[in-house]
Amino acid sequence: MKVLKFIPDRCTGCLRCELACSYVQTGTFQPSAAVIRVAPLEMHTSYAPYTCVQCAEGWCMAACPVDAITINAAGAKAVLEDQCVGCKLCTIACPYGTMYMDTGRHKATKCNLCEGNPACAQACPTQAIEWTEGEVTDWLGAFAGERAGTNLTGLARFTK
Amino acid sequence: MAEKRHVILGAGTAGINCIRTLRQLGDTGEITLISAERPYSRMVLPYYLNQSISESHTETASARQLLAWKVKTVFGRKAASLEPGQNKLKLDNGEEVEYDDLLIATGSSAARPPIPGAEGPGIHTFWTLADAKAVNKQISPKGHTVMVGAGFIAFTCFDGVLGRSGKVTIIEVAPRILPRMVDETGARLATEWLENLGVRVLAGVRLKSLQPVDGKTRLSFEQGRGFTADTVLLATGIRTNLDWLRSNVSWVEGGGLKLNQGIVVDEYLRSSVPNVYAAGDVAETRNLVTGAQEVHAIEPTAQEHGRVVAANMAGRNVKYAGSLLMNIVSVGGLDMASFGSWDDGNAEAITGLDPRRHAYRKYLFRGERMVGAILISPSKETWLENDVGMLKGLVQAGSPLGGWKEFLRKHPFEIKKPFLAARTTAALIPRTTLGAPTPSPRA
Ligand SMILES: Cc1cc2nc3c(=O)[nH]c(=O)nc-3n(C[C@H](O)[C@H](O)[C@H](O)COP(=O)(O)OP(=O)(O)OC[C@H]3O[C@@H](n4cnc5c(N)ncnc54)[C@H](O)[C@@H]3O)c2cc1C
Repeated sequence: MKVLKFIPDRCTGCLRCELACSYVQTGTFQPSAAVIRVAPLEMHTSYAPYTCVQCAEGWCMAACPVDAITINAAGAKAVLEDQCVGCKLCTIACPYGTMYMDTGRHKATKCNLCEGNPACAQACPTQAIEWTEGEVTDWLGAFAGERAGTNLTGLARFTK
Repeated sequence: MAEKRHVILGAGTAGINCIRTLRQLGDTGEITLISAERPYSRMVLPYYLNQSISESHTETASARQLLAWKVKTVFGRKAASLEPGQNKLKLDNGEEVEYDDLLIATGSSAARPPIPGAEGPGIHTFWTLADAKAVNKQISPKGHTVMVGAGFIAFTCFDGVLGRSGKVTIIEVAPRILPRMVDETGARLATEWLENLGVRVLAGVRLKSLQPVDGKTRLSFEQGRGFTADTVLLATGIRTNLDWLRSNVSWVEGGGLKLNQGIVVDEYLRSSVPNVYAAGDVAETRNLVTGAQEVHAIEPTAQEHGRVVAANMAGRNVKYAGSLLMNIVSVGGLDMASFGSWDDGNAEAITGLDPRRHAYRKYLFRGERMVGAILISPSKETWLENDVGMLKGLVQAGSPLGGWKEFLRKHPFEIKKPFLAARTTAALIPRTTLGAPTPSPRA
């Protein structure tokens, strides 16, 4: 199975993945319309690109009351836009926070792996995102734990 | 062994999820679906009311789909009684249906308040497709619509009502709106938001009667002046559809089938009669967060129940992990969501309020674990969906947050760092409802 692999050490926070994503998904260069979102860590000195892991359960897909989320040829859970009624149940059922709403059109949106040719991976200049054979795993937890941890040390200093 | 005869009672969310899953799992048993109504989704009726979808879009299993699944259907009939000893279900026309295993998924109904005039003309509930059609016909763009009851269900159809009425008034007997979905701060934000939309919100008022007057309805209250409405929508609560079982006292009381708030089931969703299962709004199952046995009348719980029952009917022995309470509703552009034990009075609460942005967060902690949450933000805020899903994930995974709890106290609007750093993703990835990847619903 091909997955999106994230190597957060390589991410420079340039947001090209977000721009490429929003362009391919919606035809606009607009990070807020992207379904991949880069999380700034450590006061914007580290970054972690974050999107749907394409989990085995497919909480979004199972929750949809009108079967508007299916599995596409790339193995991604994908929204059938003309079926989506905009009820937002998928946004609370997805425990990863990777179901989004197109607020203008009242439709759910999510990563559909660009039908097998993910724009984010192509656009990434530092190979922090790869489209490769692999397993569904947590690519970011350890990195975020280490890098974001400075928030906690900082906090400890504050509260002493 | 001969193929099993599965009887599914109720063509709502739980019933249809059960049938689809049986076939996805390769079960070739005989399936009979008996239901008072045809298969449609109640929870998308608000989108029919606001005219963004047609009636056919509410359908969850077409005649063609049911044929493809080889389902024998009996629509427009109700179950009248059950003979668990003889594996027989009796219908309201006297017909008897035999089963090898039975799923009871009869859902719930809207309950009207016990006041004079509540059954009168022009007084609607909003629970069934027939209700939605009746409201659709009556509601008028110049008229005054009064919504009685300001709970979650009322607000699911609020946008449709607002868009199609000249004037809207909401009345609620409790001292505040949404008493079972958000806390007081949340209710205050929502009330302000509604008032900014020009909606009149009257909380703490008790309706005394509804009276037809010249094609309108006159509402009278225990205290204060009454007024008239063109359309009245009652959303004053729901009742579990178990009357037909409860009237079967002889064997219910004799321990024939254990009933409490709902049908009492074990972790495989089997009732006290092993070949009778229950799912959805009628089933009392484990609360994922607290472990208590409860009825959770929400869509995701009905879906999960239906799927787990199917797996067990198909002999897979799948345990149900538990139901996580969750709700989201959009009220005129303000999104409100709550999860798990959001009203746990014994939990430690961490809150964040940004009144200028109409943003509110509340996290309930037991020790280092988040056990519940409330989130309110305008729908157009991009951060909303990130946060809302991650809160579900934190409550569902129950990961210990360690020092991140104190971080949230300082930065209540920064949920992503705690979510990622607590390895929530890794805790969630192995979790599935049936112990296997879910196939596409349309395959
Ligand atoms: C307007 C509205 C909005 C909602 N919005 C949301 C939401 O946003 N999020 C959420 O989580 N939940 C929502 N819900 C609740 C959700 O729809 C229910 O929890 C869900 O439908 C329960 O599924 P079920 O299968 O248990 O029952 P139902 O879907 O109610 O199905 C029960 C079926 O049984 C049939 N039946 C009843 N009695 C008998 C009998 N004696 N014999 C034979 N058949 C019978 C009925 O006709 C029906 O087909 C909403 C409900 C409504 C009405």
